[in-house]
Amino acid sequence: MNPPTVTRRQGLGIGALLFGLILLGLVVDGGRSLLADVAGVVSASYLAAAFRFTVPIAFAAMGGIFAEKSGVINIGLEGLLIIGAFAAVASAWGLAATPIGANIWLAFGLAVLASTFVALLFAVVCIEFKADQIIAGLAVWLIALGFAPFASIIIWDRTNSPSVGTFPVWEIPVLAELPSLGPLFSATPPVVLLVLAVPFSWYLLNRTPFGMWIEASGEDPKALDTAGVDVRRVRYAGVLLSGVYCGIGGAGLALNTGQFVGSGDTMVDGRGWIGLTAYLIGNYNPVGAFLASFLFAALDALQLQLQQVAGFDVSATLVGIIPYVAVLVVLTFVGRTRMPSAAGKHYDSDE
Amino acid sequence: MEGNAEASGPEDRGREEPTPWSGEEPPAVHMEGITKRFPGVVANDDVDFSVDRGTIHALVGENGAGKTTLMNVLYGLYEPTQGTIWIDGERVAFDDPGDAMDAGIGMIHQHFMLVDTMTVAENVVLGDEPKKWGGLVTDTGRAVEETRTLAERYGFDIDPIERIEEISVGEQQRVEILKTLYRGADVLILDEPTAVLTPQEVEALFSVLSELIAEGKTITFITHKLGEALRAADEISVLRDGTLVGTVPAAEATEEQLASMMVGRDVILEIEKPPSTRGSALLRVDDLVVEDDRGVTAVDGVGFAVHTGEIFGIAGVDGNGQTELVEAITGLRPVESGTIAFAGREVTAAPRRERIAAGMAYIAEDRQKRSLVMEYDLRRNGLLGCQRLPSFSDGWRIDWGRTDAYVDDVIREYDVRPPDARASARSLSGGNQQKFIVGREFERDPSLVVAAQPTRGVDIGSIEFIHDRLLGLRAAGKAVLLVSSKLDEVRRLSDRLAVMHDGRVVAVVDPESVTEEDLGLLMAGERPTGLDPDAARSEASEAVEEPAGGRR
Repeated sequence: MNPPTVTRRQGLGIGALLFGLILLGLVVDGGRSLLADVAGVVSASYLAAAFRFTVPIAFAAMGGIFAEKSGVINIGLEGLLIIGAFAAVASAWGLAATPIGANIWLAFGLAVLASTFVALLFAVVCIEFKADQIIAGLAVWLIALGFAPFASIIIWDRTNSPSVGTFPVWEIPVLAELPSLGPLFSATPPVVLLVLAVPFSWYLLNRTPFGMWIEASGEDPKALDTAGVDVRRVRYAGVLLSGVYCGIGGAGLALNTGQFVGSGDTMVDGRGWIGLTAYLIGNYNPVGAFLASFLFAALDALQLQLQQVAGFDVSATLVGIIPYVAVLVVLTFVGRTRMPSAAGKHYDSDE
Repeated sequence: MEGNAEASGPEDRGREEPTPWSGEEPPAVHMEGITKRFPGVVANDDVDFSVDRGTIHALVGENGAGKTTLMNVLYGLYEPTQGTIWIDGERVAFDDPGDAMDAGIGMIHQHFMLVDTMTVAENVVLGDEPKKWGGLVTDTGRAVEETRTLAERYGFDIDPIERIEEISVGEQQRVEILKTLYRGADVLILDEPTAVLTPQEVEALFSVLSELIAEGKTITFITHKLGEALRAADEISVLRDGTLVGTVPAAEATEEQLASMMVGRDVILEIEKPPSTRGSALLRVDDLVVEDDRGVTAVDGVGFAVHTGEIFGIAGVDGNGQTELVEAITGLRPVESGTIAFAGREVTAAPRRERIAAGMAYIAEDRQKRSLVMEYDLRRNGLLGCQRLPSFSDGWRIDWGRTDAYVDDVIREYDVRPPDARASARSLSGGNQQKFIVGREFERDPSLVVAAQPTRGVDIGSIEFIHDRLLGLRAAGKAVLLVSSKLDEVRRLSDRLAVMHDGRVVAVVDPESVTEEDLGLLMAGERPTGLDPDAARSEASEAVEEPAGGRR
C-alpha cells in the first residue's frame, strides 16, 4: 500500500544510474559506444563549461527559494532572467556610446537593478493588491518574453543584439597553469559569484534571524506577525532577493557570450523553469538546488559537445532532449517535496 | 455617535486626576469604556474590565459575546473605537502587538502561533533573536540556553531543540507561554487555553498558571467552560452580546448563576436521559484502516457497531483519527482496508449519494467547509445533499416549491434566526448555522445520524437545543454516532462510549460509571489502573476481533 520511500539522495543516485544505463544502451556506429564518446568529451574544460551553464539556472533557483520560502511563489523566474539578460546587453551597448564607455560591471549592476525592479512590481501586485501569484508570475514571464525581443527590434532593428563585451576570465594564479585541471581555475566572475552565493544563501536561510523570518513567513505568517515582525516586509525582501539573484543569473548568461539573443524563447530558453524544478528537487535547500542545477547544466553541456563529435550519427534534436529527460527521471524518483504551508496564500494582518 | 467620539477626547484628558480605579494600588490592567465596532457589528459596547496584579481573571461568555475582541484590543491587535486602557496605572494606546509586548502584555492565542518546522527555541526567540557577530547571525546556542533556563524556572519539561511538529499539544501551549515570558510579559492573556487539552493536561496547565502567579505574573483567560473558570480564577467577568454583564469573585459564584448571566435566562445544565431501548446493529465498522491527507495511517484497525435506539459516543483529543473515521463512514474519504456496513449492506466503497439515499445524515465537524455554501441562501443550503432525492426533484428539475416549504419548516422548528430563507448562510451566527444544519439533516428522517462535534463553537442555548434533538432521535429509535472532544457532552449523551487514541479505539466504556480521570488517561493513550482492562476489551472486541481473524 505504501509508496516506496526513497530519500532524496537515493533518488538522485537512481536517476543518474538509470540515465547511465540509457546511455550505455545507445550503441552507435559500428560498435563504438556512446559511452566512449561521452568519456572523450568529459574534461576539465567541459566541467568549466558546465559551471558556466549552471550560473543562470542556479541563481534563478536560489532566488525562487527565497521568494517561495517567504510565502510568495515566484514562477516569473524565467521572465526575470530574460530581463536581466536583455538589460545587461542593452546597458553595455548603451554605455559604449557615453563617455563612461562599455563598462561590463556597470552594465551588470544595471541588469540586476532592472530585474529587481520588475520583481518589485511583482511583489507590489502580489502583496499589496493580493493578485494571484501564479497568474502574476506568468504575466512577468509573458511580458518579459514579449518586451525583450520587441525592445531589441526598436534598438537594433532585429531580435538579436550586436556583440558587446564579455566578462574577463579570472585566473587563479598557480592552479590555472595545471596541465589538465587548469581550465577549472580560470572562471568568469559570474561563476565565482555562484560559488560564493551558494554557501552564502544557505547561511542566510539557516543561521540568521532573517532566514528564520523567511521560514516563519512562509510556514505560519500569523506566528511571525504576533512575534512583532512585519510579514509584508519579509515577503518583499524575499521577492526582491529573487529579483537580485535572477538579475545576476540573466546578466551572467548574456555577458558570457556578449550578446542578447531574442529569437524564439530568447537565449534564456527555459532556464528559469529548470531553475524552478531545480529548487523543488533540492527541497528548498540552496545546496541541493545548486546540485540539481549543475546536473542539468552538465548534461546540457554534454549534449552540445556530443553534437560535435565526428561520426556521431544521432539526430541533434534527439540529443538535445537528454537534459530534459534526465530532469524528468530525477523528478520522478526524488522523494516528495514539502512546500511551505503558507506559500501562495495572502496574508492579511487585520482580518 | 460621532459627536460623542469627538467629545470624549478632551473629557478623558481632564479626567486624569481622580484615578479611574478604586483602591490605592493601580490594577495591572484597567480598561474603561471599551467600544469596538466592525462594519455592521458592535463587538464590544462600553466594556469596563480590570485585573489586579497577581490574580487570575476569567472572561466567560458565549461565542460571539466579544471576549476575544476585548482581549485583542488589550493586545493591540485591534484599535478600540472608543475607550482607554491603563497598564499599571499608566495610560497607554497600542498601535500593534509590538507596543503591547513592550508594555509587558503577552497573548497565547487559541490557535497556537508556532512555526511547525522550527524548533522550540527558535519559536521562543522568533522576532527577538539573540545575535552574535555584530548582530548578523542568530546565536542559536544562547537561544537554546535561555529557553532551557526559562523552562526550568517555571518547571516546564520541554526540550528546546525539539521541533514543534514533534511535541504534544500541551507542550506546544507551554512553548507559547515561554514565548511570552521570553519577551518579558507580566500580564498573560490566554484565549480558550483548555479547548484542545485532555483533563490531565488541563490540570497541568492550571498548576503552571499558579506557578506563574507565584512569580508575580497576572493572568487573564477566556473560556466558555464555567467549571474551569470557577476552579482556576479569582474573579470572573461575564460578557454577553458585547456588553459586560458583571464581574463576580469566583468564590461566591455558582455555575448556574454564571450560565444564566451568559445566556440571559435560566439554563438547565443537566440532561434528562430516559433509558435506551437498544435495537439491532445498523452501522457496523470492521477493522477499518484510513489514511489522512498526507498518506499517514490515521485510523488503524477500528471496529464497532452502532445500534438503533442508542447514541454511540466517540471521545478523544482532536486529531486522533476521529475526523478521518467519520469521513470514511460518510463516504468522503477512501478506505484503505476493512469494511463499513450500513443498514444491512456493505457500503465501504459506495458513493456518498447512495449513503444519503439509504438514510445516513451527517453533521460535519467543519460546518462552513463541509455543510454549508456560505454564499448560498438558506433555501439553497437546505437542498444541499438531497437535490436528487425524489422528495425534492423529479430527477431532472428541482421542485423549488417543496424546497421552500421544507426550509421554512426547518427554520421554524429549529428556531433559526433570523427566520429568513433568503438570508445567506454567512449572515447567520455560528449557533444558528448549526441549528439550521441539524434541522436540515434531522428533518430528512434519517435512520443514522453521524454527528461530528455538533456543538463546537455553538452558544449554550443552542447546545441545549441540539442535545435535546439528539436524544429525541434516540427515543424515536434512530441510531446516532456522536463524535465529540467535549468530554461532558459525550459522557452525558452516550449510551456506550468509545475512546480513540492514535487511530485506535483503546476502550469502549460505560459513560455512567467511568470516571473523568480514567477517560483522560485513556484519551492520552494510557491504561488506567482503576479500569478493568478485560471488561473494556471484551466489549470493544465484540465487533473487532472475530471478523479481523477471518480476514487475515
